[in-house]
Amino acid sequence: MSFKHLFMKSSFVKAPIQNGIGRYVGQLQRITVKFCKEHSDSKGVRDFIENQVVDFAKQNPGIVVYLKPRRHRAPHVKLEYLNGETEILSAKCLSERELRQWLEVARGSSGEPVARLRKMQHTDRPSIQGVWTPWTNVPPQTNLETFPSEEGYRAPQREQTATEKLRELFARQQEQKQLTEETTGTS
Amino acid sequence: MSSMQRAKQWATFARIWHIYDAKWQNPFDSSKTIAKYLKGQHKPIYHPLSDCGDHVVVINCRDIALPGPEWYQRVFFHHTGYPKGGATWTLAWELHEKNPTKIMERAVHRAVGGTLLRKGLMARLHLFPDEHVSEDLLRHVTSQIPQLRVQPRRLDSYSEEEVRDFPKVFDYPADHVIR
Amino acid sequence: MVFLTSPAWIRAAKPDKFWRRRRTFRLSAHYFGRARNCYKTAIIRVEKALSYALVGRQQKKKDMVQLWEQRLEAGCAEHGTSLPVLRQGLMRCNVLLNRKTLADLAIWEPRTFKVRGSQLAME
Repeated sequence: MSFKHLFMKSSFVKAPIQNGIGRYVGQLQRITVKFCKEHSDSKGVRDFIENQVVDFAKQNPGIVVYLKPRRHRAPHVKLEYLNGETEILSAKCLSERELRQWLEVARGSSGEPVARLRKMQHTDRPSIQGVWTPWTNVPPQTNLETFPSEEGYRAPQREQTATEKLRELFARQQEQKQLTEETTGTS
Repeated sequence: MSSMQRAKQWATFARIWHIYDAKWQNPFDSSKTIAKYLKGQHKPIYHPLSDCGDHVVVINCRDIALPGPEWYQRVFFHHTGYPKGGATWTLAWELHEKNPTKIMERAVHRAVGGTLLRKGLMARLHLFPDEHVSEDLLRHVTSQIPQLRVQPRRLDSYSEEEVRDFPKVFDYPADHVIR
Repeated sequence: MVFLTSPAWIRAAKPDKFWRRRRTFRLSAHYFGRARNCYKTAIIRVEKALSYALVGRQQKKKDMVQLWEQRLEAGCAEHGTSLPVLRQGLMRCNVLLNRKTLADLAIWEPRTFKVRGSQLAME
C-alpha cells in the first residue's frame, strides 16, 4: 500500500524558464562531494572519484564539482540548482555505479522539490477558439433588445391545439368547396 | 496569470441576469427551470463546486396558474419553531392573497435542493408580483427564459376581424332561447 | 520410514511484530489522537478508511460521467438540441468521441462543438 501521497505536496507539470523549448539550460550548477579517505562507507565515493569524476566534469562543463575530504564522516553530496534550491544526497554505502546514477538524476532535474503531479499534461494555450463565455452562442442582436422581449415569450408548442386543428379543418373544407364549385362551373 | 488571462476568466464566469415571466405558468414546473439557471446548470462549464449560477428576475408572480384543483387543495406548512401549536397550514389561495410571490418562492426554494448553497442561490432570485421592476435591476437583464406554456388569450384580446373570420362550428336555431 | 506430519508443523515465521505494525502506522500517520499511534485503534480506522477509499474510487467515475452529461446537456440546449440526439447524430456520422472529449470541446473549443451540432442537423 502506497502512503507517499500523505505528506507529499502536489503541483502541476512545469518547466522553469520554459526550459527545453528552443534552448536548454542545465539547472544543476554545483556538486560538493564530502567523503572520508579511510572509512568503508565512502568506498563507492572514493571509487567514483578515482575512475569517473574527471570524465563527469569534462562532459558537463556547466557543473562545478568540488571534492572535500572529511575525516571519519559519512559521505554525502550537496547538489545546488539554478533556482536556489539545495539538495543533500547521502552517499553512505553507495556503490560507484549507484552514485553515478543518482548524479545523472540530479543533472536532469529542475531543482523543484519532488511533488505529486495532479495532472500529467500542461498547456499554456488551452483554447484556440476562445473559452466558452455566456455570450459565445448568443445571437448578437440580443444586445439591441429590451427585456422582457416578445421573442422571449415563445414557448415551445408541443402539440397542435384544438383551435389550430379547427382552423386547419376549416381551411381544408373551404378548399374542397372551391374545387367542387370550379368543377361544377366548368362542366 | 496575465491580465489578459484574468479577463478571459472573468468573461467565462460572468454572472448573467435572466428574466422570466410567470404569467399563466405552473410555478412548480417553472421552479425546476429557474433552479437550473440559479445553479448554473445551463452552462457547459457547470461544476457543483464552482460558483457559476446566474440571477433570475421573475415577474408577474401574481398571475401564476396552479394545475387542477390545487388552489384550494395544496397546503403550505409553516412552523414558528415554538412548541405547543407553532404549526400552521395555509391553503394556496390564502397564501397567494397574503403574499403573491410566496408560492413561487416556496417552489423555487424546494427545487434548488437542500444544500448549504440554498441560501446564496435564493438570494439571487428576485420575485415581483407584477411587471413593475425597478430600473436598476432591469438594466442588468440580458436574457430571457422562454415560458414553458403558451399563454391563453382572452376573447377581448382578439380583433373584430379575427373573431368574424373564425370558423363557425354550429349556430343556435332561430327559436333557441338562451337564459 | 518417511515422516510427513512433522514438517507440516513447522510454520514460516511471521515478520517481526514491529515491521508488521509499521505498515499500518504509515497509513495512519496523518490521523489525530490515538488513532495515529495506538495499533488497536489505528488498524480499525485504517481499514475503514481503505474501504471508504474503495467506494470513493468507484463513485468518482460515476460522478465524472454525470458531470460530463450535465455539461453536454447544457451545451446541447444552447444549440437547441439534446444529448441523445447529438450522440445519435455523431454515431451516424461515424464520429467516435466520448462524453469527456465532447464536454471539453463544448468548453474549450465552442465553435467545433457548434459545427458538430450543425453537421448532424444536415444529416
